[in-house]
Amino acid sequence: MDAFTSILPFKQLLPQKLSYDKQETFLKLFILASAGILAFATRLFSVLRYESVIHEFDPYFNYRTTKFLTDEGFYSFHNWFDDRAWYPLGRIIGGTIYPGLMVTSAALYHALRWFHITIDIRNVCVFLAPLFSSFTVIVTYLLTKELKNTSAGLVAACLISIVPGYISRSVAGSYDNEGIAIFCMLLTYYLWIKAIKTGSIMWSASCALAYFYMVSSWGGYVFLINLIPLHVLALMFTGHFSHRIYVSYSTFYIMGTILSMQISFVGFQPVQSSEHMLAFGTFGLCQLFSFVEYVKSKLTQAQFDALFSFALVTVGFALSVAGLVLWASGKIAPWTGRFYALLDPSYAKNHIPIIASVSEHQPTAWSSFFFDFELLVFMFPVGIYYCFKELTDANIFIIIYGMTSIYFAGVMVRLMLVLAPVMCVLSGIGISSILTTYMRNLDVSQPKKSAGTASAGSRSRRTDDSSTYPRKNEIAFGVVCLMTFFLITYVFHCTWVTSEAYSSPSIVLSARGGDGSRYIFDDFREAYWWLRYNTDEDAKVMSWWDYGYQITAMANRTILVDNNTWNNTHISRVGQAMSSTEDKAYEIMRELDVDYVLVIFGGLIGYSSDDINKFLWMVRIGGSTDKGAHIKESDYFTPQGEFRVDKEGSPTLLNCLMYKLSYYRFGETYTEQDKPPGYDRTRSVEIGNKNFELEKLEEAYTTEHWLVRIYKVKKEENRGQS
Amino acid sequence: MMRLSFFCIFATIVFVTGQDQDGLINSNVERTLDLVSHLPKEIISVTIENRGTKATRYYDYYVEPQHVNNVAYVGAAVKGKDNDDQGNLVIKQETTDKTKGAVYRIALPNDLRAGQTITLEIEVAHVNALRLYPAEITQTERQLVLYKANPYYYSRYTTQTQKTTVTLPTDRAESYTQTPKPVAKSEQTITYGPYENVAALTRSEITLHYENNNPFLTVSSLNRWIEVSHWGNVAVEETIDMYHSGAKLKGPFSRLDFQRRPDSLSAVKTFKTSLPASARDVYYRDEIGNVSTSHVKEMQDQVEVEIRPRFPLFGGWRTHYMLGYNVPSYQYLFNKGNQYVLKMRLVDHVYDDQLLEQVTIRIVLPEHTRNIEFYPPPYGVERLPNEKHYTYLDTVGRPVVVITKRNVLFQHIQDFEIHYTFDKIMLFNEPMLLVGPLFGLFCLVIILVRLNFSISRNEISEARMRVQAVWDQVVENNLKRTGFYQKIDDALNTYKTNKDLKGYNEQRKKIENELKTVQQDLAGLQAKVKADSADSAEKIAELQRLDTQQREIQQVLSGLAEKLVGNKLAKPAYLTQEEVARTRLREINARISAIINQY
Repeated sequence: MDAFTSILPFKQLLPQKLSYDKQETFLKLFILASAGILAFATRLFSVLRYESVIHEFDPYFNYRTTKFLTDEGFYSFHNWFDDRAWYPLGRIIGGTIYPGLMVTSAALYHALRWFHITIDIRNVCVFLAPLFSSFTVIVTYLLTKELKNTSAGLVAACLISIVPGYISRSVAGSYDNEGIAIFCMLLTYYLWIKAIKTGSIMWSASCALAYFYMVSSWGGYVFLINLIPLHVLALMFTGHFSHRIYVSYSTFYIMGTILSMQISFVGFQPVQSSEHMLAFGTFGLCQLFSFVEYVKSKLTQAQFDALFSFALVTVGFALSVAGLVLWASGKIAPWTGRFYALLDPSYAKNHIPIIASVSEHQPTAWSSFFFDFELLVFMFPVGIYYCFKELTDANIFIIIYGMTSIYFAGVMVRLMLVLAPVMCVLSGIGISSILTTYMRNLDVSQPKKSAGTASAGSRSRRTDDSSTYPRKNEIAFGVVCLMTFFLITYVFHCTWVTSEAYSSPSIVLSARGGDGSRYIFDDFREAYWWLRYNTDEDAKVMSWWDYGYQITAMANRTILVDNNTWNNTHISRVGQAMSSTEDKAYEIMRELDVDYVLVIFGGLIGYSSDDINKFLWMVRIGGSTDKGAHIKESDYFTPQGEFRVDKEGSPTLLNCLMYKLSYYRFGETYTEQDKPPGYDRTRSVEIGNKNFELEKLEEAYTTEHWLVRIYKVKKEENRGQS
Repeated sequence: MMRLSFFCIFATIVFVTGQDQDGLINSNVERTLDLVSHLPKEIISVTIENRGTKATRYYDYYVEPQHVNNVAYVGAAVKGKDNDDQGNLVIKQETTDKTKGAVYRIALPNDLRAGQTITLEIEVAHVNALRLYPAEITQTERQLVLYKANPYYYSRYTTQTQKTTVTLPTDRAESYTQTPKPVAKSEQTITYGPYENVAALTRSEITLHYENNNPFLTVSSLNRWIEVSHWGNVAVEETIDMYHSGAKLKGPFSRLDFQRRPDSLSAVKTFKTSLPASARDVYYRDEIGNVSTSHVKEMQDQVEVEIRPRFPLFGGWRTHYMLGYNVPSYQYLFNKGNQYVLKMRLVDHVYDDQLLEQVTIRIVLPEHTRNIEFYPPPYGVERLPNEKHYTYLDTVGRPVVVITKRNVLFQHIQDFEIHYTFDKIMLFNEPMLLVGPLFGLFCLVIILVRLNFSISRNEISEARMRVQAVWDQVVENNLKRTGFYQKIDDALNTYKTNKDLKGYNEQRKKIENELKTVQQDLAGLQAKVKADSADSAEKIAELQRLDTQQREIQQVLSGLAEKLVGNKLAKPAYLTQEEVARTRLREINARISAIINQY
């Protein structure tokens, strides 16, 4: 640490009277506090640029449930049956969500209220993720400190405060589970490392509690409950297994499992589903291993060998029989699709269109690694190298964590988030090790005269053993400068990425006008607000599932499907309605009791993620069930296999409901100069089917830029009127 | 039937003449019925003549029974007087009579003696008086309304000559009643009358069916929240529920048609709200965030906010928003000692021809205010029991004065007053609430850090702390020591110039004694630390050794100087020897500080 303090340029500014101990504490606090504040501040771009508003889709659901929790209390939240979603099925919210996020914000809200700090619940939700990012900075410091040393911890803390891979999920307004889950995950890891280092039950129990918090807040806890057993297994195989690890793991597994089963959404999964079997198996193995060790210590080698071979056969047989019986009786739940997708990236695409349709479930592009991590991509192997150099129990853990998470991040874009912390930890170790090595060389080559300061004196003692090579000082200087340059570019890159890519709330769109002024497209909220105030309170709105959460939260209307895609057939039914002709769709809509249909249309302003561009997913999902077997993806392509909406497009496409709702009366509109009417700016074509009328629906509302179009489903005409 | 009506008229005449004791008549009435907006407005210029014998103070204005609930405002002024504030006369609403209608008693500025005349201008605003006919229209249709009125001036007194002029928004009238003659229509105006000698309380009915494409904007409820801070700010927030009370939209809404025809008739796209000129930090939002479509224009006497609801309002459509701003309190809050007066507008101008159906005003006063008295504007408002509000740094809660009123119009934008007592010393309450806990926290930290609360003794850390304490003392002693050597050096230099050997020796003796005590102290510390850290003891011993060396060199130096002074040594030789000694001194000093700096 003294090496660390001496390299700082502002050492002179520190009070000279302070002892080195105090200086160190002071510096640590200063750096950590700055990193924490920076982590909070850098996430506020969107609030400053737009407003304090919830982003994206899922956060709106979380916001709505949090609001319900604060208004109605925990028990009604727990028993909440939501009849506003998944009409006519409804959804048991209390039993199908991870409540950690909501409970955290509600607790924070009530604590503030108790002090008469009358902050709005929306603001609590908006600023929760940045707040937890600041906590994450501190936990990262602690974790890295346990793995390496204080200076590596501080570097890692500084790195994680601005790493874009994490910021992408935790900007102000991005009120999602991941925002607090990363904190919980790192806290669990930190306590786990603490536990295996000390072998104390207290740390293991704390670890189990942290794990409980993690389980309560994110489905990604499965990663954690597989990683820790994996670590234990690795320790066993490398001969690092000890009583400390036995105590830690047994305590952690038993307490953690019991606690995690208290979350009603998790229920009995920890003892039934295959995803948790590794943890269970490792627990058993731990007991066996220790038992064998114990028996071994009491018996002679020959006796032990006989016993061992006998036991291996019988126990192995008994286990496989029990496993078969459980599997046959369905006690071991089959692995869920998302988990298969993790192991086999092409699984989802081939089997479950609804999983494949989500953009964040796509495999990661190589460029996005650099985009999200920049310098860390290169420093990550360096950190791993340093960990291998000094292979302790804790370092084995971080290596396993690094390797597994880099695999998962490659499989699914979304899991970049899990990779981000370990990238920072390992890069922190790497950077700090490099800097410490070369900083020493810098000082050594200075003239001996200035060795008046004690720190130099103590350092010279340490560097005595290092072999000397020519131009030591210059090389060291060059490396340090290079590192500084890298770190500076890292800061610029992170800030740029945060500001440009991750800070738009997506509910409000903005564009630059010709004169540089900012133009705001607020059509989504315009439409939701219209629905909220000008439709019947019980009106049912049909839309593609992406907009479900937003409609329930902002428009407060009943919807058919939403972003919690638990019922494939129901979503498929909506997909069928959208991809059928108007008459067929009308039957489905009558069957589902739909009052309004909402579509997103970007053709007028050139907004690319509209419903026509998502339409193929609707067709695929619509055709994936028995009822929709007649819907075939190929019908919506031209004979050449193209998806086009102009004259050459397939007639099935040009006459389906989605097409008609998107382009109703669009054929009369001029969008661009020198182009014919009905020119779609998103797809840059003139639409193929222009003059049609709707028979069973009527336009109820279209927003200013035509981004959201709402149609009213006409009631069936009275009999006998013809 | 005939007889019955005859009887009625007879009875009325008898009744009226029986009442008509004060002998007033309306010698001339000119009535303007302004139907341009959605709030029909009557301006009646009435010349009153006292034909009786006694002087009178009052003039009664009557409202027909069917309109009693529609009248939201009645105001009167003496015609000709320009200064409008002075001209407004006091009006009191008397009990409503089912057959004759509501009575507003206007107090005349001074007694109207027999034979005298006075001309009053009475202004009456009606709400909900227009009937939409048809009640539902499509997007492109025009909005037609039906209005029923009395062609005669409804009065308790006989009217000699009168004329009613109706102003329509456009020159298009579907139909209008052609009786009683004479009726004349020219472009936007229809003139009924003049009529001569109309008996008191004569009622008749004319029906006007005309086009009115004005926005029928109505605020169904307005909650105004005024928060007074004695730190110089008054925050105002209005939560507004608004709807279009015109003909309901029938059938589809087509954005294409709406964009093609920008004059989309009765739809409300924007309206202008005026805020006080000093309004700052204006915000316009709703539950789902900021409404990004509005413009604020700061003008000389007001801040004009052009408000565009999220969507255009068609007939029957509703919306909801919040508008808030801050104003500096010095413009509205006045005090003398502990007595404060808050004088503010009861409501703001929301839009032209505003109709606020239900207004609730909550005025939040600072904590610890007493003796709250509310003085309403010159019209009736209802005051509800006080409430309590808790917000930042509140302990006992802030008192909230709650006022409600129905049907608030443009004419009601007037000031109210609240008088209250507030002890100025209580201004320190809130800073103290912040300072107190922080002070406590620091005290707690000081106590926790200074005292040892652990229940078990940790030998290692104790020893470390003891060593640390010893080293602190060593450092201090070292400082003293270097100080003394500095003094010796100074004395030596003085001796070299003034050659006062005796004084020098005296001084040196003294300092050397001091140095001895320092050395003894160090020896004591060395003994003390030996048990805890042999390493430290060794370091201190090293220090002592170095110190002894230093002393020796110092003595050599002083011997040299003596020789120099006694001319026993040549100057160049002295200088070289001194240089050698000095170099050694520097080395010793460097080693000492190296040891000291390790701790």
